Amino acid sequence: MAEFSWIARSPLEHALVVGAHGARGTEAGVWLTEIRNFDLIQVMARRGKTAELAKAAQARFGVAAPETPKAVRVPDATLIWSGPDQFLVLSNAGKHAIEPLSQAFSQSASLSDQSHARVLISVSGEKARSMLAKLSSLDLHPAAFPVGTAAATSVDHTSINLWRGNDWPDGQAVFNLLVFATFAGSLWHTMLDAAAEYGVDIRHSEELA
Amino acid sequence: MVGPAQTHRLESGGLIDRAAPLSFRFDGKSFAGFQGDTLASALIANGVKLIGRSFKYHRPRGILTAGSEEPNALVELRSGARREPNTKATTAELYDGLEAASQNRWPSLRHDLMAVNQLFAPIFVAGFYYKTFMWPAKFWEAVYEPAIRRAAGLGRAAGVADPDHYDKAWAHCDVLIAGSGPAGLAAALAAGRSGARVILCEEDFAFGGRLLADGGTIDSLPAAEWISRTLAELAALPDIRIMNRTTLFGVYDGGTYGAIERVNDHLPSPPEHQVRQRLWRIVARRCVVAAGAIERPIVFAGNDTPGVMMASAMRTYVARYAAAPAKRIALSTNNADGWRTVETALAAGLQIAAVVDARPDVSAAHRALAAKAGFPVLSGSVNGVEGGKAGVRKIAISLTGGARAEVEADGLAVSGGWNPAVGLTSYHRGRPKWQDDIAAFVPDGAPPGMMAAGAANGAFGLGDCLRQGFAAGAAAAQSAGRSGNAGTPPVADDEAFSLTSLWHVAGKGKAFVDYQHDVTASDIELAQREGFESVEHLKRYTTLGMATDQGKTSNVAGLAIMATLSGKSIPETGTTIYRPPYVPVAIGAFAGHHRDENFHATRLTPSHHWAAEQGAVFVDTGLWKRAQWYPRAGEKDWLESVTREVKAVRSGVGFCDVSTLGKIDVHGPDAGAFLDRVYINTFSSLAVGKARYGLMLREDGIVYDDGTTSRLAEDHYFLTTTTAKAGLVMQHLEFCRQVLFPELDVQLTSVSDQWAQFSIAGPRTRDLLREIVDPAEDLSNEGFPFMGAREVSLRGGTRARLFRISFSGEMAFEISVPARYGDALVRNLMLAGKPFGVTPYGTEALGVMRIEKGHVAGPELNGTTTAADLGLGKMMSTKKDFIGRVMAGREALVAPDRQVVVGIKPTDKASRLRSGAHIIPKDKTPGPDNDQGYVTSVCFSPTLDQWIGLGLVECGRERIGEIVHTHDPLRGEDYDVELCSPVFYDPDGGRQRG
Amino acid sequence: MRIVCPFCGERELGEFTYLGDARPVRPAAGSSEDEVFDYVYLRDNVAGPMSEYWYHGGGCRAWLKVARNTLTHEISSVEPAAGVGAAKVGA
Repeated sequence: MAEFSWIARSPLEHALVVGAHGARGTEAGVWLTEIRNFDLIQVMARRGKTAELAKAAQARFGVAAPETPKAVRVPDATLIWSGPDQFLVLSNAGKHAIEPLSQAFSQSASLSDQSHARVLISVSGEKARSMLAKLSSLDLHPAAFPVGTAAATSVDHTSINLWRGNDWPDGQAVFNLLVFATFAGSLWHTMLDAAAEYGVDIRHSEELA
Repeated sequence: MVGPAQTHRLESGGLIDRAAPLSFRFDGKSFAGFQGDTLASALIANGVKLIGRSFKYHRPRGILTAGSEEPNALVELRSGARREPNTKATTAELYDGLEAASQNRWPSLRHDLMAVNQLFAPIFVAGFYYKTFMWPAKFWEAVYEPAIRRAAGLGRAAGVADPDHYDKAWAHCDVLIAGSGPAGLAAALAAGRSGARVILCEEDFAFGGRLLADGGTIDSLPAAEWISRTLAELAALPDIRIMNRTTLFGVYDGGTYGAIERVNDHLPSPPEHQVRQRLWRIVARRCVVAAGAIERPIVFAGNDTPGVMMASAMRTYVARYAAAPAKRIALSTNNADGWRTVETALAAGLQIAAVVDARPDVSAAHRALAAKAGFPVLSGSVNGVEGGKAGVRKIAISLTGGARAEVEADGLAVSGGWNPAVGLTSYHRGRPKWQDDIAAFVPDGAPPGMMAAGAANGAFGLGDCLRQGFAAGAAAAQSAGRSGNAGTPPVADDEAFSLTSLWHVAGKGKAFVDYQHDVTASDIELAQREGFESVEHLKRYTTLGMATDQGKTSNVAGLAIMATLSGKSIPETGTTIYRPPYVPVAIGAFAGHHRDENFHATRLTPSHHWAAEQGAVFVDTGLWKRAQWYPRAGEKDWLESVTREVKAVRSGVGFCDVSTLGKIDVHGPDAGAFLDRVYINTFSSLAVGKARYGLMLREDGIVYDDGTTSRLAEDHYFLTTTTAKAGLVMQHLEFCRQVLFPELDVQLTSVSDQWAQFSIAGPRTRDLLREIVDPAEDLSNEGFPFMGAREVSLRGGTRARLFRISFSGEMAFEISVPARYGDALVRNLMLAGKPFGVTPYGTEALGVMRIEKGHVAGPELNGTTTAADLGLGKMMSTKKDFIGRVMAGREALVAPDRQVVVGIKPTDKASRLRSGAHIIPKDKTPGPDNDQGYVTSVCFSPTLDQWIGLGLVECGRERIGEIVHTHDPLRGEDYDVELCSPVFYDPDGGRQRG
Repeated sequence: MRIVCPFCGERELGEFTYLGDARPVRPAAGSSEDEVFDYVYLRDNVAGPMSEYWYHGGGCRAWLKVARNTLTHEISSVEPAAGVGAAKVGA
């Protein structure tokens, strides 16, 4: 009997080369980090079930599910608005994977596992906004897109979910992008090209910011 | 240091950096210039007057303006792959090593043989080409057009790919300001101080607009000081972006603006990792257009002689660049502003030959200046220029009262007044209005959110420009919701502006209106005589204003002459429609990142990298790259590889990545009811754990898409679509859910990227699966019958879904795992399948097997076929409503003579079929009358050892066994073929059910 | 052009897909061929205010009813299609 190994491979495994890319200056203007191995569940409220869903979310996460384009952080998950009557639950370590969540929302929502359908990329650095302005039509000015703002939008004609996480301790803004897995390699190259002039620091991590 | 060659460089003054000398080449000859020069100013400083040859008559041309309105001084800039034709010398910044060449001359600029065209000038009038090259028609492409293209035309394209990069970016602001002259800077001050987010775009590399050449006193400071103080104040504001080398070129709906930033055009090549140009899409709540005004020429004979220059341009060269276009200058003006050139020239130590002023009254101050400097002031207008490629020599003047005069000069400055730059404000089909006191069109309203200020709004006094700009900036900020204290506006005096209209002075010789397209006053007269009086007709008949400069210096003069000829006023004659872009924008900038391999996003399947390791040949299908076949060493062509793959599947086992299929989770209590309405067949009755093939129609009754849908739980279906329609079907289903059937409780999510899905096919499929699936799972025909669908565990614990469906006609399963395990799955399948000779196969083998089995695909689902045409009519439920049901019953869609899917095989087994070939009854002549359909799909069938195909053939099902002709006029191939059942392989389906 | 999505806010045109006239209502099951024919094919070529379906496919995937003036591109209102926000029905 053959020995099978079931290694999960990121769609960016080939495209992502850890290290510096593009212009070499004193410090990289853009930091690109792929965050691997997460659970991502799409929660869609059923007809007339807003109140029940809210109750279930409150019970599960201690907060209401976002009803407007926001990302809400709780200690072990982030709830990201993704459209009317729906949000994404981002977590790791399996606590909010499809099975436990299906039980929690069984009366109020339909759930779809998107853990493998997306790639999560975090963009930060002094030139993060300049680089994102080449990809996104959204206004990411600090006043227009404060911490906790989320958007379902497009980059390069491809749907993404974008939200602003908590700033780094040094005050740098952090933008998180969930992109579709089969587009990820292509979008990654587009992001590298957009960021190259500022100098890029590339890495990957398993920690959710 | 003034280099020895810079014969026309002034000893002092100018905004050039004399400590930074630059060398450059024009037409192969070396010259010197300084940092801060444009190519035009550097050529002037070197005494170069002849820059190019004109478009049609090959007349010698010099530099007319000092800005982006330049119609004459167009050059090929740079060399090799970076060669850029039709570049304005007046805006090209000088850099060390710059190379430029004149255009439209042969063999050289000074000895242009094509100048012979001038001798034929009388026949090259407007409409010449329309009238002359009509007959014989076939001569147009073969003879006339190539000859005309050689003779006329502009620069040469590089002919090779542009090596530089371009990109596009978005920007957002409260107030966008076009132009950094006094009005623009004042607007930026007011808006910025009010707390607005401001973007200020300046076309030039230096800020200040006309202040750079004309100077003046603002807030008791010399203009240059005021500019730097203002820029410093602006830079200190928190939310202002100041962009030079950036032209606002278009206004689009909803407050979106287009701007082109020439990021690195001022360098020989962009620094590494940087772009050459960037296209900005700017979203602004308000926009202040402070784009200034363009000085207009006066139309008189010889007005295109090198050395004839706009008066404002001449003083720009003198004051800003310390370059003297001429040493003895005459001025032809109809307004007071032209006299500034006299003042500037005198201050620089240049001689004034004469001022010819068309106004009845010249101010006492100007007369005193003339008396002091010792030059005559002649009342009248210039009506001829003597000179040639070496420049102006003598000027002929028609004096008021009828007498004539002549003046010797080597340069003629011309001012016919100023036209506010009304392009941007007129882009949404706006029509500017005529203002009599300045004899010019001014904005009459503007696109929503936009306002004009300063010279762009017809205000020509410095004080007025500052006041208008400041007020516009403050108002724009206010209406964008920013109400900080704007402070006090900058203050300056207003100069008096007086003007007497003067458009065209009669005289002998060609008098040019549109320099770039060689349109003369007599062309306009001809157009009027021939009835092309409307400005839109005038434009198209004469090509007035249709060159790359879009008539910035010529349109108003042209329509003023037409107005005179037709006896109408200028406002009655009106303007043509203004359309973006305001300046030419490189296609590369519009494309940005999207070229070559980045032309569109690329999607990769979960097994892509593994397939690449195997040496797979990939094919682009939509955005996807799919493995087409997996060549092995020694195989001579694709057919051999594909044949091997098919045989391996039919005799053993193979697998194929089918992750590209669209996959949609359909959830909710009404999921079944929902699917019943979108598919022609019934899904609410499907048992949990079963799959069913489904067909969707468009509402017009034509087949839309097909695929297999499985019921994974009472309230959860897993729907698949074709690869091509994945996105569209999702959109369609969302429309059905949100718009057509809002009462249903159903939720949709795309899971296309969540699952890596593989088809495993062939008689040994079960053997392979048993290696990889947990032994506890029952894969027997009883435990997992045909069309079964359920979740299973794999050895090692990974969860997977198995679907017992077959596209190949073999015993087959589709297996799906979460996408990140897709790579591991293929590797494990290869490992587990080694004893069975498992063979990966690509889309070609997939296609061969589906044709052998008679399954329809894209070529048959072609947007014209019905379910019945595809042989699937019986699937249509009669017990329920579904999308397309009523329209599918229309007479023409159920007509008995429709073209339906049949199988096709050549009667001679050695013949090759071609898809696209027409079906013609035997013994009939090929042609539309006898056309009965066409071959949709073909393949070489390894199983039947001959070419086979599917086709759409009139009454095909009743004609099984009939011999017809396939006619392929493109390849010249005609064969006899037999119409047969489309199911070539295992017609009773025993293999896939076994 | 920019459309104010009722859920996402103002977004650029590229995120949206145009469908067409939002006035025709799909005839109920059992309607005649003529009624369905009109629904499928009969459209006015409106010069002026028009109600249109747009899909925010590059955003929140909501189908929207957009009141747009075809002459000026001015958008006077944007509403979600009937089935969007169904979770709040009866709430």
